[in-house]
Amino acid sequence: MVRSARSLLPAPALGFLLASVPFLFPRNITLLNLGFLTFLFVAQGIAWNILGGFAGYVSFGYAAFYGLGAYTTALLWLAGWPPVLTYPLAGFVAAAFSLVVGVPTLRLVGPYFSIATIGVGEAMRILMLNLDRITGGASGLNLPTSVPSKAWFYLVGLMFAIGALAVAAAVRRSRFGLGLLALRMDQEAAEALGVRTALFKNMAHTLSAFIVGACGGLYATYLQFVHPDTVFSFTQSISLVLIALIGGLGTLWGPVLGGVIFYVVQDYLQTSYPTFHLLVYGVLLILILLFEPRGLVGVAGRFRRSPMLPPGPGAAGSGAGEVR
Amino acid sequence: MFSAQNLIAVGIAALLTAGLYAVMSYGLAIIYGVMKVINLSHAGFLMLGAFMTLVYFQQWHLDPILGAFVNLPVFFGVGWVVHRVLVRRVVRALPIASLLLLFGVWLVLQNLALAIWGGEDQSIITAYTYKALAVFGFRIPVTRLIVFVVALGVLSILHFALGHTYLGKALRATVQDPTAALLVGIDTERISSWAFGLGTAFAAFAGSLLTLLFSFNPDFGGAFQLKSFTIIVLGGLENLPGVAVGAAILAFAESYAVLFMRASLQNVIAYALLVVALIVMPGGVGQLLGNRS
Amino acid sequence: MTPALTLDGVTKRFGGLQAVQDVSLRIAPGGITGLIGPNGAGKTTLFRVIGGSMRPTAGRVVCGEREITGWSSHAICRLGICVTHQIVRPFPDLTVLENALVPAAFGSGGRLPHPPRVEAEEVLEFTGLAPRSDVPASVLTLAERKRLEIARALATRPTILLLDEVLAGLNPTETERAVELVRRIKARGITIVMIEHVMRAVMALSDRVLVLNHGRLIADGLPSEVGNLPEVIEAYLGQPLGAN
Repeated sequence: MVRSARSLLPAPALGFLLASVPFLFPRNITLLNLGFLTFLFVAQGIAWNILGGFAGYVSFGYAAFYGLGAYTTALLWLAGWPPVLTYPLAGFVAAAFSLVVGVPTLRLVGPYFSIATIGVGEAMRILMLNLDRITGGASGLNLPTSVPSKAWFYLVGLMFAIGALAVAAAVRRSRFGLGLLALRMDQEAAEALGVRTALFKNMAHTLSAFIVGACGGLYATYLQFVHPDTVFSFTQSISLVLIALIGGLGTLWGPVLGGVIFYVVQDYLQTSYPTFHLLVYGVLLILILLFEPRGLVGVAGRFRRSPMLPPGPGAAGSGAGEVR
Repeated sequence: MFSAQNLIAVGIAALLTAGLYAVMSYGLAIIYGVMKVINLSHAGFLMLGAFMTLVYFQQWHLDPILGAFVNLPVFFGVGWVVHRVLVRRVVRALPIASLLLLFGVWLVLQNLALAIWGGEDQSIITAYTYKALAVFGFRIPVTRLIVFVVALGVLSILHFALGHTYLGKALRATVQDPTAALLVGIDTERISSWAFGLGTAFAAFAGSLLTLLFSFNPDFGGAFQLKSFTIIVLGGLENLPGVAVGAAILAFAESYAVLFMRASLQNVIAYALLVVALIVMPGGVGQLLGNRS
Repeated sequence: MTPALTLDGVTKRFGGLQAVQDVSLRIAPGGITGLIGPNGAGKTTLFRVIGGSMRPTAGRVVCGEREITGWSSHAICRLGICVTHQIVRPFPDLTVLENALVPAAFGSGGRLPHPPRVEAEEVLEFTGLAPRSDVPASVLTLAERKRLEIARALATRPTILLLDEVLAGLNPTETERAVELVRRIKARGITIVMIEHVMRAVMALSDRVLVLNHGRLIADGLPSEVGNLPEVIEAYLGQPLGAN
């Protein structure tokens, strides 16, 4: 209802370009894998950003949704379902869980919500690790090996990423998105002006959980293996936080940029130390918070200053000389 | 399993753990109380304190307890610098910004440690690591006793200092009402640096003590950090003496729960308590008892 | 005639502090009611209870025929009661237009005869903020922010408008403009209750004045009567020297 659709202009061209890759380089498995995993991160980052960026509720526990999605697909697949049919279900399971967790925790103010999500995420991981009869516990679950080609994963991953972007763009331009933005800036004032903040927060949470859950299902199919310490890990959760923050919290293209850089850098640095990329991102995160809270999108935007750009977390509050 | 003997033994273990937990959480409580900032780098400094103790032990054969006391001034300095250079700049922004900044610091510390020391578990074995003392008919590991005594001692000194020194009073004043503290001439920014330094120092101190009881690796700060949060929420977020109460509650809950559930699920208790406590009682146990801190 | 707003024994306690004590009153539709009293008398707390951002410890709040005690603030807003804030809180990084769009889109409870955007533009026009429509709210002056606060409230098409110190901090010219605005709002048929410290303005505008002190209603009547009551003078200035 508010922001223009101009920002979406590059999308179709970019999409077409990316979609042509498997046809131009059909035998470059490395490239196709890189593409798939990047798209997966981008899709999740965009989804996370709906709650974290638009509504301003930073969750460190999204791995719970990813893992639930992955295990939903895994278990259904082992029971004979075609994996593709399981993806929406994976999303629903994650979404249902997000409601159970979200309704009580979203009532907490920002930082307390964040701490609570760390607790929830980690508790889920430990619980899943201990439910070994269902989840395979510490050995994980091996999944059937009849999977489509890497090109298929690449294209489906691209579809997920584009789908997530479309959803985020639709939210942003809608009344719902305006409400989220308002509640991020001043929840009490928004509430007093008629915004149903509790409902909207939970809607954002559930919507993003659905997307992340579906991504988890897709990932399980790709890897043909699930283990609690991978899909439910804290590292998985913080990856989404980093993607959105580094790219630009609350922006539309931020998580896209962030996701691409995150995965590509991770893949490149993988050769030196397994988690060296996290060291780099830690430093980047600090720099961004200190100097350009709008992330990389903000850095790019410095050349085209627009008052419509939402603030990052480091932006000072305003209002008659108040501190917050 | 539920014999009186066993239950008392569990209780003693819980008590000893409570002492450690209290020292571990105090730093977090001070930083939160003074700056209203959730210090996610607590885990990093806890871990780094442990690793520095390892270094002291390996290079200079310094006993971990002595290492702990060496860490106090060293990490106080580190914390001070981190506050002055980094934290101070984002405190004026939204609260989530400082949380995220400190999270970044944690990430950096954790991965630096991984780069330097690798990911394997480390442990410190001293002459008394495997010894136990008989106290009232119960065998108690010497290490646990020492940690408890040291923790109690340090907390008592801290309690005294908070009550009787200018710095201590200024700290408590800022916790109660930062604006009023400013108005009476307290340099709250300086106090914040002190608070952050102290908080970091205590995190590292606790990390050193932990080396006597557990093996450790660069990832190990996270669980303890969450437990520290649980403790300060249970004790009442701005209630410094409440930390002891929170520590006791968590330690006893964990210790007795293991009688009913798998040991590997033990941490879930802390996480569950954290979420429930945040939702139900933001004022901590003090709120339930009708205190106004 | 059914009163627009009825309060019945409304009490609000914070721990040991009684902010509002057993306040009962009826506000008739239309007209301006002034709410005055020394600082800390409980006026803003009363507004917050009526508006739903606080639950009363005891008592009932009734709008028309409907009991709204304990309703959330968004539901009360949609019903038609809107409260402005003493310390104005525009959405800093939204434009002035977007600021007005939020309440139009969410708070108007189906009362809008046209799309929210049109309503937003209209209220900005009404409050004189139309030239500033595309500016982020954070750059507005205090007087403009106060007008935006009022504009946002108007965009919800309220039947009852609770204004909390809209004149505070304004210079004489801005005050005159604001008083004029309040009159024009009354002309639209909106029931107004206003908390004010600027005595001349509130006495001139109000049809009726309520006085609160230490959370209790101590006076209720015409502006001319209330200003001379000994309890009211005592509330503001204390007792004369040598009395008692």
